[in-house]
Amino acid sequence: MSLVRLHDLTLGYERRPAVHHLDGAFDEARVTAVVGPNGSGKSTLLKGLAGALAPLSGRVDRSGLKPNQIAYLPQDHGVDRDFPMTIGELVGLGLWGRRGLFGAVTHQDRHRIEDAMSAVGLSGFEDRALGSVSGGQLQRALFARVLVQDARLILLDEPFTALDARTTDDLIALVKRWPSEGRTVVMVLHDLDMVRDTCADTLLLAREKVSWAPTEQALAPENLLTARRLSEAWSDGAGICHRDHAA
Amino acid sequence: MSAVHSGAEFALPMALAGGLALALGGAPLGVLLIARRMSLVGDALSHGILPGAALAYLIAGPDPVAMTIGALLAGFVVAGLSSLLARTKRLPEDAAFAVFYLSALALGVLILGRNANAEMVFDLLFGAAKGLDTTALLVSAGAATATLFALALFIRGFLAESADPVFMRASGLPGGLLHLLLMLLVALNLVAGFRAFGALMTVGLMMIPAAASRFWARTYVGQAGTAVLISALSSGAGLFLAHRFGAEPGATMTLTAASLFALSALVGSNNGLLQNLPGRTHLEG
Repeated sequence: MSLVRLHDLTLGYERRPAVHHLDGAFDEARVTAVVGPNGSGKSTLLKGLAGALAPLSGRVDRSGLKPNQIAYLPQDHGVDRDFPMTIGELVGLGLWGRRGLFGAVTHQDRHRIEDAMSAVGLSGFEDRALGSVSGGQLQRALFARVLVQDARLILLDEPFTALDARTTDDLIALVKRWPSEGRTVVMVLHDLDMVRDTCADTLLLAREKVSWAPTEQALAPENLLTARRLSEAWSDGAGICHRDHAA
Repeated sequence: MSAVHSGAEFALPMALAGGLALALGGAPLGVLLIARRMSLVGDALSHGILPGAALAYLIAGPDPVAMTIGALLAGFVVAGLSSLLARTKRLPEDAAFAVFYLSALALGVLILGRNANAEMVFDLLFGAAKGLDTTALLVSAGAATATLFALALFIRGFLAESADPVFMRASGLPGGLLHLLLMLLVALNLVAGFRAFGALMTVGLMMIPAAASRFWARTYVGQAGTAVLISALSSGAGLFLAHRFGAEPGATMTLTAASLFALSALVGSNNGLLQNLPGRTHLEG
């Protein structure tokens, strides 16, 4: 069963499409990789799935998911390292969806934060300042926040970039567990070996859909070649897209 | 111009109470502004309140209540329009503030030009503690109470929205509204202080202790508490000096705060200069 359906979805900036006329569905309780060359619209697609970017045309059907049931970890995470906040408080932001502006943080919530920090190997880091931890440790904390969010749809944009092998292995183990908990994961990745190892399905994107299928099928050599060719067909002098008018 | 004011003209206990109210309300806001990298927004807003105060002066004469309401309205308009423009992502926030506060300042100058003397402009920008009467004190106390109340209610949202705006927007937080509320609180505190200590000097008491507090604490609560303490100390010592030597209280308070900032930067326990002297023994882990 699909959790998120895309209907002729075009996403972009200043009327220029970065994702062009995309149709398809993300199945529930599966891990789907989004793969493609630089500039192929992967991050834009995740932004659109998260609801952080409105479509230029078409629509995203999220099966009625509320914003707090979606966890989104962007590539450029936007956390200000100078902000006077502890790692524990950052992880605690994941409670936002359930507790809102005024809800009290319960004993159970505190346990949830502790458990999440322990799951990513950050026990004892609760009181450390944001600016005092490494990039990898901050990424672990952001994963812990995703755990605290307890979301049904999890969107991860290149979550393992610049992480060491141990951290990557630990976090991948978490991701692999999520489908069995009924969570749907969409993850932008570059490492094709990692995609084959971790993701049941793959969407190969080059602004348009090249292939959206079980991973081995999607990553067939001819598809990869097509993706490379399409992404290089970008034009600065592009005119109006007539497919919009035909639709 | 400064000869117009004499330090002996103000009642010390009244001024001390006003300074304390400003410390309680303003300093925690200053810490938030610095954390959001918006240190100069207070400065911009303090200029932005000028046309409101000037227009009130034009209509009602030197009536403290009218001028306070006028300044407050102008501050809200500048804060609201700047935040709105920045939220549309058409312009960076500091640029939006620059456009509106400079326009407001020019409007204020235009209104005041034919209708006021230099002393009045001086009082507006740099203050006159002699103007600290019961009404002004009530306004200050009201602003401090409203600020602390709002902070207690919304602090989780303010911090979350400042630390990770992308995440909070995706989680459905009303970030724009919280941001606007923060700007309105800043305007409220500036207006509460401007009649006694001047719009510009009030910003000093809001921002300098907040900057100093970063050398003592790492978390928001720690920094806000330290900033209140430094701000209250600056007010007390500055007012005492002004009273004793017949100086401008706004200036002595701000300079006292600056001295405490220098001291904090030097000996502060959180990354103070002396903490990081070359040759100091390093820690184990």
